[in-house]
Amino acid sequence: MAYEWDWSALWDNLAFLLDGLSLTVLASVVSMAAALVLGLLVALARLSGRWLGAAAQVYIELFRNVPLLVLVLWVFTVLPLLGGFTLSPLMSGTLPLTLKISAFLAEIFRAGITSIATGQTHAALAIGMTRTQVLKRIVLPQAIRRVIPALGSMWVSLFKDTSILSVIGVGELMYQGRIVATDTYRPLEVFTGVAVIYYLLAYPQALGVNWLFAKFQVQE
Amino acid sequence: MTVDDVLLRAVGLHKHYGALHVLRGIDLTVRRGEVVVVIGPSGSGKSSLLRCLNRLEDPSAGHIYIDGIDIVARSANLPLVRRNIGMVFQHFNLFPHMTALGNVAEGPRTVLRMSRAAAEQRALDLLQKVGLGDKVNVRPAQLSGGQQQRVAIARALAMQPEIMLFDEVTSALDPELVAGVLAVMRRLAEEGMTMVVVTHEMEFARQVGDRIVVFENGVIIEEGKPSEVLRNPRHASTQRFLRSLLKEDRA
Repeated sequence: MAYEWDWSALWDNLAFLLDGLSLTVLASVVSMAAALVLGLLVALARLSGRWLGAAAQVYIELFRNVPLLVLVLWVFTVLPLLGGFTLSPLMSGTLPLTLKISAFLAEIFRAGITSIATGQTHAALAIGMTRTQVLKRIVLPQAIRRVIPALGSMWVSLFKDTSILSVIGVGELMYQGRIVATDTYRPLEVFTGVAVIYYLLAYPQALGVNWLFAKFQVQE
Repeated sequence: MTVDDVLLRAVGLHKHYGALHVLRGIDLTVRRGEVVVVIGPSGSGKSSLLRCLNRLEDPSAGHIYIDGIDIVARSANLPLVRRNIGMVFQHFNLFPHMTALGNVAEGPRTVLRMSRAAAEQRALDLLQKVGLGDKVNVRPAQLSGGQQQRVAIARALAMQPEIMLFDEVTSALDPELVAGVLAVMRRLAEEGMTMVVVTHEMEFARQVGDRIVVFENGVIIEEGKPSEVLRNPRHASTQRFLRSLLKEDRA
């Protein structure tokens, strides 16, 4: 028996699905912004003295190696119990995303910083800069420029990973899709539609990242 | 020689890299306005000495006095010390994300906290002085090696240092670009700048140097007036080294 496709379930609920996009974008932007700051701080910590560097390494390895889904569920269920506070689903969604992405960003920033030749630091120190000035004026501007394409790649994967937040009831695109699929008993059409929406949004971003890679090609 | 004449004095400098003992008790005095040329085979410790003199490297033992102040002391304020010691590197090390003007103005701006206008005016004057007044807004990648090195000299001069250290600054240049850089250095010397120059350019050493210091295996084996050392080296190793340079030139 051939399946009879009925796309009206998708068309009739398209507005409801697209409503979820605002939370998809919000969760992505908030997580990315927080992870950029956190990731840079962790990278600097990782490159600094022994004790701080070791702590940063534990942070990086912990959040890189625990699956995102587990992290999301843990923050949603265990953290409030331990801390004695409640988080909105959006908060408990963006927190694990931030933690996970920041761990990856920390490694990207670290690679960027260490890729800047020591001659740059020597030249800057030689004109009397302090270590902080060397970092701010000489090393970071070059390092960040160098890792911009990698940051773009992280952004695109983060944008898609927000779909995991649907499991804790964040009303983003995937969550809305699950509601529509359940309500209409048409999961095939609805999830196909959701996949196409993600693709249409993510593909131009991926093209943008390719453009970044071309524009910021490392020139020695 | 009065005490006031002495700008830099290194006493009993040692430097170890793990088991490698690259400086083995260096004593060096540089008077104000003097041009000291340091020669010797590669790996003999010349570059390590320069890097110790502005504390890019920490000497393992010994003392360095600049204007009578011990800059190896724990209390030494290194950024303050280094402002006063210009350094030019073999590989230029210009800041690639800044223009030529930005490179030269960076020290005055960030370290001396000068206004943008004043810093850029100083940078412009110096770029003109090194013959690059027309390259102000060009990035290092668009400059030849010789031009980059002249920007690097201007960058060091922008801090108005009392002494300049030159670390094989023409070794990475194509032969036809060497003369322009040496001309700038020669003019600096004529203006009375105190300089310590590590180089293989014997012609420069002979004409511009007030004194030649010969390094071998981390010790100074010979020093004296360029005319004497180059014409009549006392040490067999110096003779060998000078002969090897001559062969290189003919090759």
